[in-house]
Amino acid sequence: MSVLAYGVVAWLFLIGIYGVVSSRNLIHLVVCLSVSQSATDILLLEIGYRAGGHAPVFVDLPAHPGPAVDAVMQALALTDVVIGAAVTGLLLALAVQVHKRAGTLDPDKLRATRD
Amino acid sequence: MSRSARLMFFAAAAAALAATLGVGLSGLPSFGSQISAYARMLNELAPAQRHVTDVVSAISFDYRGIDTLFEEFILLSAVTGISVLLRPLSDESRQLPEDKAPDRTIPPPSPAVWLLAVFLGSLLVLTGIETVTHGQLTPGGGFQGGVIVASAVYVAYLGTNYVTVERFQPGALLEATDGVGASGYVVIGLLGLLAGADFLSNVVGLGGTGNLISGGTIPLLNLVVGVEVAGGFAILASEFLDQTAVIRTRRR
Amino acid sequence: MDLVSASAVIPASVVVPLGGAALMAGFSGLLPRWVRDVIATAVAVATVTLTLILMVASAGRPMIYWFSGWRPARGMTIGVDYAVGPLGAGMASLAGLLVCAALVYCWRYFDSARGRYHSLVLIFLAASVDFCLTGDLFNLFVAFELVAVTAFSLTGYNAGHPAPLQGAINFAVTNSLGGMTVLMGVGFLYARTGSLNLAQIGQELAGRRPDGLVVVAFALLAGGFLIKAAVVPFHFWLPDAYGSAPIPVCVLFAGVLSELGLFGLIRVWDTVFSGLAGGPTPRMRAVLLGLGIATALVGAVMALAQTQLKRMLAFVTMSHLGIYLIGVGLLTSLGLAGASLLVIGDALAKSALFLGVGAVQHQRRTVSELKLRGRGRGLAVTGVTIAVGALVLADLPPFVSSDGHALLVSAADQAGLPWLEIVIALTVVLSSGAVLRAAGRIWLGWGAAESPSPDVGTADDSGDEAEDQPDTTGRVPLTMMLPPLALLAIGLGLGLAPGLAAQAAAAAASFSDRAGYAAAVLGTPGGGTPASGPVVAAASHAVSASGLLTDLGQVAVALCVAAVALDRRTVRLRRALAAGTGWLRRLHSGLVGDQVTWLVAGLALLAALGGVALR
Repeated sequence: MSVLAYGVVAWLFLIGIYGVVSSRNLIHLVVCLSVSQSATDILLLEIGYRAGGHAPVFVDLPAHPGPAVDAVMQALALTDVVIGAAVTGLLLALAVQVHKRAGTLDPDKLRATRD
Repeated sequence: MSRSARLMFFAAAAAALAATLGVGLSGLPSFGSQISAYARMLNELAPAQRHVTDVVSAISFDYRGIDTLFEEFILLSAVTGISVLLRPLSDESRQLPEDKAPDRTIPPPSPAVWLLAVFLGSLLVLTGIETVTHGQLTPGGGFQGGVIVASAVYVAYLGTNYVTVERFQPGALLEATDGVGASGYVVIGLLGLLAGADFLSNVVGLGGTGNLISGGTIPLLNLVVGVEVAGGFAILASEFLDQTAVIRTRRR
Repeated sequence: MDLVSASAVIPASVVVPLGGAALMAGFSGLLPRWVRDVIATAVAVATVTLTLILMVASAGRPMIYWFSGWRPARGMTIGVDYAVGPLGAGMASLAGLLVCAALVYCWRYFDSARGRYHSLVLIFLAASVDFCLTGDLFNLFVAFELVAVTAFSLTGYNAGHPAPLQGAINFAVTNSLGGMTVLMGVGFLYARTGSLNLAQIGQELAGRRPDGLVVVAFALLAGGFLIKAAVVPFHFWLPDAYGSAPIPVCVLFAGVLSELGLFGLIRVWDTVFSGLAGGPTPRMRAVLLGLGIATALVGAVMALAQTQLKRMLAFVTMSHLGIYLIGVGLLTSLGLAGASLLVIGDALAKSALFLGVGAVQHQRRTVSELKLRGRGRGLAVTGVTIAVGALVLADLPPFVSSDGHALLVSAADQAGLPWLEIVIALTVVLSSGAVLRAAGRIWLGWGAAESPSPDVGTADDSGDEAEDQPDTTGRVPLTMMLPPLALLAIGLGLGLAPGLAAQAAAAAASFSDRAGYAAAVLGTPGGGTPASGPVVAAASHAVSASGLLTDLGQVAVALCVAAVALDRRTVRLRRALAAGTGWLRRLHSGLVGDQVTWLVAGLALLAALGGVALR
């Protein structure tokens, strides 16, 4: 179970980066970057998981509730989601302007900064 | 690098990085086996110390409240940054979409779509407000609820058209809500300093666990964050819609 | 300075710029332009004052501040702390000073997008202060991301040109991948140690041999910080971003942004990883020195190949980042002290250079060295500023960077690596020589009108507006002429100040003392003041005995490099060199896919090297 759980993290991170590297469209690139971002969120949540644990919300619990999962990791994952949303928004705005000014959305066709 | 050279180089590098991550991940404790003593302590203490039932909110807005202050400012700076990037530039102007076929009548919007938009929009606003205000009781809080409220703007656009939606997006008011939300967090933090404790201390009355008003500054911080996030995402909606609908480059 | 008043100063140092930025973002549309400028500058000045107070007050022992009042309990840290030391507070003050310069420069002539620019710059400042003062690993990550997010928007500011947009995209993609690796490293360390506090993590890891998890955590954390610090092979985004951002933003980036990456690296090393069993320090030193040398030399060679002034200064910045990594990578207090003084002195000089280029761009509407040939007439003050700035970067005494250079050379000697001085000298003369060559071409009209290698790429698009408008006649405005001169004057003043090297050495010693830091944060007894005596003595000795001749020699060789580069008779030599380095220049393609591929390869390499070094 651990192999699958943690393997998903490595897979998502790397496949997202593959998408970034091979992308021909900036919008596609931004979405691939957020796939990699979700890998880090999953890692945090998995580190905080406890088998048989319930959410760290202490209301309407059954008689013998058992342990709760790690609330700190959930708070960290929340922060990371916000950061990911912020960066995605910025990159999409850049993509909109690039399309207007450079006439293309293909990252490999952008030639404005090179040696 | 040529595309094929890049992909081959990437394949090798990714294999190496995969191996690295594998080594790191295999050192983690078995999935689901344990949580840290820090987390166990907070799960025990938070409901009693802060009179809240949602420990994640307590951590976000009390125990580690300074992190959330900076997180809020990440969102503020992203919204400000997007406004900067999408601002009308010197060679652009705002022109409302023009009717290309003025002799033909425009079919009115379908009543079904309009009704759905009204229903869904109101539902979103209500759900958003409920999520913001109940953050200290159940999963949710300012960030989540703010986004839900802001998505009502998108639903309004989808159900009607740009001109109608623009009336709900007074630029100055939205910016003001954004600023008020962000500075509100700072002000509430200063309350702690004024009361002689440390910055962002929870110095307001804690109330009873399980009540709507509980947790001291936690629901207040939830509220200001909700205001800021809702305002911020509404600004984003307005900026992106402007770019698609009205901003046109003047031909030189 | 008594602790009660200091305890409000610490949170104020971030609250003031954050509050100012929030008000700017919300309400600046209602205020006239000059009010916005004044308020933003006042907020920045207040922040600098607060961080300077902290720098002085924390000189003996780190000052610890717990947010929301959560002090450690049951042997565990619960809340987030700031652990203020003179090195961190000094770095924060430098950030504040450069923000002041950047804001003053923008008075009246810069499109501030209705106050949003001021807001973004103030948030950048607050995030930098947080990054330098915090003692919590996750707060460090959040500050890292906030600095990055504001920097992305500021890079793409001139959104009407493709170059800043492309620079911002490259910057954003590579650096947000860096943020992801930092967060993964944070997760790994939390899983092993159960804490997010730097001191506590360090205590948990101390005295144990690191296993695969800890090695990979180090590689991920260091990788993220090295991406920000634009160290080879993570550096490809830097010339794209720094070469096309607006000039006042380049001031912030060149002086603060990438240096924060190095600060993060050494902060995490000194508090978390330096206590690992097995004596990793000498091997890690070799790894970091190798990366530093590569960065310094690549930056210097690429700087010579540029004809677009901002991109040239970007590579000059990169070459000096390599030198700072050499200083930091020696993993000694003396090396760290030398690197700190160099960071300060060079930041002032680099900012002066960027602001000078900005004045030229404002008056002549271009930053292409070739197009500006001979057009420096009437911009004499700016020309002197740029020449002096380049010489200061070459460690012209008695500016403060020459003190830093002396400390660094002495640290290299102590570590048994005196040949590092040659590497540093080579880097410095090549990069300063490039700037002096440009100055000679622009102000003296020397040199050819075309570049020796016609296949050089962009050369022109620097992302600045108004390239098609006629030259501005008249003098450079005072708000553009005075800030660079003021920054150079501050560099001179600091260089003449007695005892600065000793203070830097003491600050570095306190920064590197892991056990003392942990004791101060966790409130446990022990630690006390670190044994900084020998380091301070070594520092004072190094500065007083510093080779005036070697510094002046470096300056002279830099001038010779510039002269050789401008001499028409050396054209065959220059063409051969250009052909020989063509492969290096073609690698800097500006394509984000290439840059991310190098990033992945670099992370894997860093993990392998880290594994060898730490075990």
